[in-house]
Amino acid sequence: MSPPSLCAAACSTPLRAAPPPLLRFRRPASSSVSVSAARAAAPSVSDDLVLRIAEQLEDSAASSPLLDPLRSASALSLLSTPWPTRRSNEAFRFTDISYLRSLPISLPTQTPGLAPPPSPDAESHIIFSDGLLVSASGAHVAALADMPPGVARDRAAAALAASAQFSHRDIFYDFNAVGASDVAVVYVPEGAKMAGDPVHIMFGYSGSDGASMMMSNPRVLVIAEKGAEVAIVEEHFGTGEGDGGCYWANPVVDIIVEEGARVVHSYVQRQSSAAAHTKWTTVQQNTSSTYEFVEVSTGGRLNRHNLHIQQLGPETVTELSTFHLTSQNKQIHDLHSRLILDHPRGYSRQLHKLIACGSGNGIFDGNIQVNRYAQQTDAGQQTKCLLLSPKAVVNVKPNLQIIADDVKCTHGAAISGDLDPNELFYFQARGVDVKTATDALLFSFGAQVINRILFKPVEQKALAQLKELLTLSRQSN
Amino acid sequence: MAPPFAAAAVSSHPSLFSPSTSRPAIRRHLPPSSISVRPRRCPPAASAAAAEPAGKLLLEVHGLTASVKETGQQILKGVDLTIREGEVHAIMGKNGSGKSTLTKVLVGHPHYEVTGGTIMFKGENLIDMEPEERSLAGLFMSFQAPIEIPGVSNYDFLLMALNARREKDGLPALGPLEFYSVVSQKVEALKMEPKILDRNVNEGFSGGERKRNEILQLSVVGADLALLDEIDSGLDVDALEDVAHAVNGLLTPQNSVLMITHYQRLLDLIKPSYVHIMESGKIVKTGDSSLASHINEGGFKSIASFV
Repeated sequence: MSPPSLCAAACSTPLRAAPPPLLRFRRPASSSVSVSAARAAAPSVSDDLVLRIAEQLEDSAASSPLLDPLRSASALSLLSTPWPTRRSNEAFRFTDISYLRSLPISLPTQTPGLAPPPSPDAESHIIFSDGLLVSASGAHVAALADMPPGVARDRAAAALAASAQFSHRDIFYDFNAVGASDVAVVYVPEGAKMAGDPVHIMFGYSGSDGASMMMSNPRVLVIAEKGAEVAIVEEHFGTGEGDGGCYWANPVVDIIVEEGARVVHSYVQRQSSAAAHTKWTTVQQNTSSTYEFVEVSTGGRLNRHNLHIQQLGPETVTELSTFHLTSQNKQIHDLHSRLILDHPRGYSRQLHKLIACGSGNGIFDGNIQVNRYAQQTDAGQQTKCLLLSPKAVVNVKPNLQIIADDVKCTHGAAISGDLDPNELFYFQARGVDVKTATDALLFSFGAQVINRILFKPVEQKALAQLKELLTLSRQSN
Repeated sequence: MAPPFAAAAVSSHPSLFSPSTSRPAIRRHLPPSSISVRPRRCPPAASAAAAEPAGKLLLEVHGLTASVKETGQQILKGVDLTIREGEVHAIMGKNGSGKSTLTKVLVGHPHYEVTGGTIMFKGENLIDMEPEERSLAGLFMSFQAPIEIPGVSNYDFLLMALNARREKDGLPALGPLEFYSVVSQKVEALKMEPKILDRNVNEGFSGGERKRNEILQLSVVGADLALLDEIDSGLDVDALEDVAHAVNGLLTPQNSVLMITHYQRLLDLIKPSYVHIMESGKIVKTGDSSLASHINEGGFKSIASFV
């Protein structure tokens, strides 16, 4: 069967007319050879939907010499990657992503929307609007396209080229690589300490008319050089009227923590209730580096976060805290985290908390690999889930893969339908009724993670939003 | 209900533990010639002597039996106890004799089930009331081992407790800012670090901090009857004095304390009008503070022979 006819049959949606999509994957001459080779070798693997989206993304993104190696690698990978389904792909076994297929994809125009950018809370900031980089200002912050030749630009280019080799990628990582028009770069030179003055990264999404799902692919690269300290705060939110509309946010944040460096990373996701949010965070930690991560995800109809941390040297410190709240019906929150330890004396702590209300679905797959040379690792992992309604579902899969033989690893999973009666009684004994005590305890369940956000304005916003969502879900119950 | 004698700035609830600076710190009680507690095996001579003018009846427990809900194991086997306004009672007894269970049953701990007897508090049947209603009615128990509540700050917790009380009294809720001046005084009075308010309830508190924190809660919300379960355990001498001083400072002629202790030291600091000995789920002996010194010297064995 000839490629054009294959595509013509498959791409009969109004969104896509001829020419056939496969032929469009032709960026560098070399890859076009691989493309046809891949197609010939395994035509059945090529997934029409994946190709259609990839093609749309490719059309929209302008060529950039620094991004092209990553783009072609991802484009190539997309050719042979099927759309993940619960049956075919273990990483999506519990996560129903069919919502992403419910509407055709549209892409933002190259000029950002008219909505005024939100005012940042920090001096150093990066603003994305529908995935397009609108502004990047402050110390050590720049758009890749605007970076002058020099060390910073070379390091960023090298890091992006290395991302092309990222072996744990999935289609969302590749979609972003193909569709990202520019990269916001936070480059903290050797020894620079700016943990007290965070870089505030705001991702606003406006969505589209409702007949399509606007997809955006913002991308951020953070490099903390030897001994540097930096705090970054990510906020993802809808900017449209009312709740914010229907869109698909597909951001990627790559972080490199060099020897003795420290990155404090806060991430707040409060997308609109009709949004889909598929996120990648990759972290590489070199010798004696510290990475502290706090996530608060409350928004979106479908939320998937892939958090991937790779240890590159001994004595790393990794602290991960996440809080997910499914407050609306059929809402899906998924955290897939993977921590790969290959060197001795690593220390890691992970806390994952989840509240599921209504018919919400929470998924946690927390993988920690303690490989042969990761002796004297101290790894702890804990997950606590609260199911507040009979229809709520959680799928929790904490897993430690330990090959080294001299390690200290603990993990615990607690899933409960009720609050601790002793805690409730303590409130009652002080005259506080069960309802008020329940509200306070649920709030504190999330606040325990939110309080770890060191950037006050964002912490306060997240706490206020948590309170509001808990009140709403109580009323709807 | 008693008239609001203490028109406190914060809580107009008729309770001791509102600001109390002008009150006498320590009251001495009449010698307990009037035995208002009637254990079953009470000698007839003692009850006959009950002719002295006494305070208003606060708590009246008759034939109280209670068991652990889950196992059905009976702990209280017929407790009789009467506490009047302005009295300080102490319960002593061996480990496992049911002292703590008694206080927990009084405040409605869900772990226990009342299987018989009556509890009247200020003329109302306590058994029919929810734990929070008992608290709002003026009953306070300091936990022997207060639990941690991660994520809830001590400040917020105290404010919630106070506002629950104010709501019941028909007063507007206090805002976080107004509350600060109220609570900071009390923290100071207990010689606690002000930053204890920012920490989560009991999270990472030392044993002493937990005990002080219980008394801080008492001083903020107030009570007509405070049940203090081993507030002296885990406290060093100085800390014990601070806590005892705070409790004494909070006492008025209208409210009462029931404390559980193993040690004379606390009774030297907070003078009891009555000392009860509990054994196998019953109060087997009641006397004045000399009973406590007797135990201190000869142990509970000496009391057994005494009886």
